[in-house]
Amino acid sequence: MSEPAARPAPLSTAAAARRVFELSFGEMLWSRRTIFMALVVGGPVLLAIIFRIVEAFGAPALRVNGARVAGGSVFGVMIWMLYIRFIVPVLGLFYGTALMADEVEDRTLTYLFTRPIPRGAVLLGKYLAYLACTSLVVLPSVMLTYFLTVPFAQVASTFRSLVLDLALLGAGLAVYGAVFAFVGARLKRPLVSGLVFAFGWEQLALALPGYLRQFTVAHHLQSLVPHTMPADSTLSAIQGLFRQTTSVPGALAALGLLLVVFLWLAMRTVARREYVLEQ
Amino acid sequence: MPIHDQGYQRYAGSRASTGTAWQVIARAGIRTVLAERKFLALLLLAWAPFLVRAVQVYVAANYAQASFLQPKGETFREFLETQAVFVFFITIYVGAGLIASDRRANALQLYLAKPLSRWEYVAGKMAVLLTLLISVTFLPAMMLLLVQIGFAGSLTFLRANLYLLPAITLYSLAQVLLASSTMLALSSLSKSSRFVGVMYAGLIFFTGALFQAVRGITGASWLAWLSPSDALEQLGDAIFRLPLRYELPLWAAAAVVVGLIVASGVVLERRVRAVEVVS
Repeated sequence: MSEPAARPAPLSTAAAARRVFELSFGEMLWSRRTIFMALVVGGPVLLAIIFRIVEAFGAPALRVNGARVAGGSVFGVMIWMLYIRFIVPVLGLFYGTALMADEVEDRTLTYLFTRPIPRGAVLLGKYLAYLACTSLVVLPSVMLTYFLTVPFAQVASTFRSLVLDLALLGAGLAVYGAVFAFVGARLKRPLVSGLVFAFGWEQLALALPGYLRQFTVAHHLQSLVPHTMPADSTLSAIQGLFRQTTSVPGALAALGLLLVVFLWLAMRTVARREYVLEQ
Repeated sequence: MPIHDQGYQRYAGSRASTGTAWQVIARAGIRTVLAERKFLALLLLAWAPFLVRAVQVYVAANYAQASFLQPKGETFREFLETQAVFVFFITIYVGAGLIASDRRANALQLYLAKPLSRWEYVAGKMAVLLTLLISVTFLPAMMLLLVQIGFAGSLTFLRANLYLLPAITLYSLAQVLLASSTMLALSSLSKSSRFVGVMYAGLIFFTGALFQAVRGITGASWLAWLSPSDALEQLGDAIFRLPLRYELPLWAAAAVVVGLIVASGVVLERRVRAVEVVS
């Protein structure tokens, strides 16, 4: 009597996550959503192009109180107001909440869960695909915006701040993605809760004195921004008034902690939760 | 035992008059949303500012020391501005899935196979959103006016500020029509309610951030037409006879609001069809 064939060893979480990453990355990058993302990140680039054209013609539109606005300042304003305050949280929210919710809505989660891989690896792989996909679209748009707004003569002196910007935007995408991956894995209606967190709680906490700001991603992320914070509205003026920056190591440690905790919570939720697919 | 005739018989029941079918969709939609506890909590939260203002009116009417709290025409404008946050969240909560869910379930063909025109379908869906949005804008603002009359025990305030009646009506209408039509148009563009929600949030926040960024760079506030929310605020200031906050001409602000509503109508006309022609 022949012995039964040995069963192949189950894949480790890392190996399984890599497989899911390979599967999800292409799907994510060549989807209609990338068009939405391209439109969003195209805004600052378009603005930078207009800035470059207007500046080339020496138009007075770029003079505030008679003083000429420097390209570096324009880039700083764009990083603050478009990338840090809007693009990074929205992309984190959009993709983060969709990691599991999409599979549930499309009723394709069963196919992933019946594979001989740890359930947490499904989320981890998809999260890594999100990170790669968003970084590939967002970071080049920052580079383009930078080279369009900052004159070549200033590139050498400001290049360090560009590298810092790219690193902190990457960190922002990673942390917001992890937070919203957990929200998406845990809640049935993740979008409204995510919006309340990103555009309600975070904005409110930043405008309050005390320690509440420590419970936001934005506070730690904003502590790393090398540009001056613009006071464009009453709320941001109040936020600027109560602004306390954490030290760089402190902010990095807090962001790292948030990333690990929320990613672990999201993986744990996926591993334990019973998803009911609506018929 | 009687033998019933199993042959063709004409329908003997009552028939709803033509053009009233939208009420069925509206009633069903409102009932479904109101059955959700989370939504009721959101609705209650949306009435919290009304309570705060009512207390303010009561204190101002009964304590001479607190006369500085006396409501003015501006108070009602500020109140409706506060309600914009709830308008945003209710629009996303209720509106994102209104058409998207029907498209996802291929229910549009079923709806339109009945004696129901496309515009009745859209009117029914819009009525759901309009009713709920009016309940957090027009209704509490009018109630606040009544509370003021009640606590003051005279019509002096109303007589002195008679313009408030049309102002509250007009501004609330602009606010809810803009939100409802935009959301319905976006909802008809996708099958995923989450994607619709993110698109709507993107439209509101991204255009706002873009305007603030451009304003930060150029110092020009006439570019408020870039952001529909800011254009609406400008219109609100004019309706409530307050100094305008931006240099944007009034006709331009009105054109942005009306243009977006018309564009939404065009999108709905093209997207809400019984048969989708796929090329």
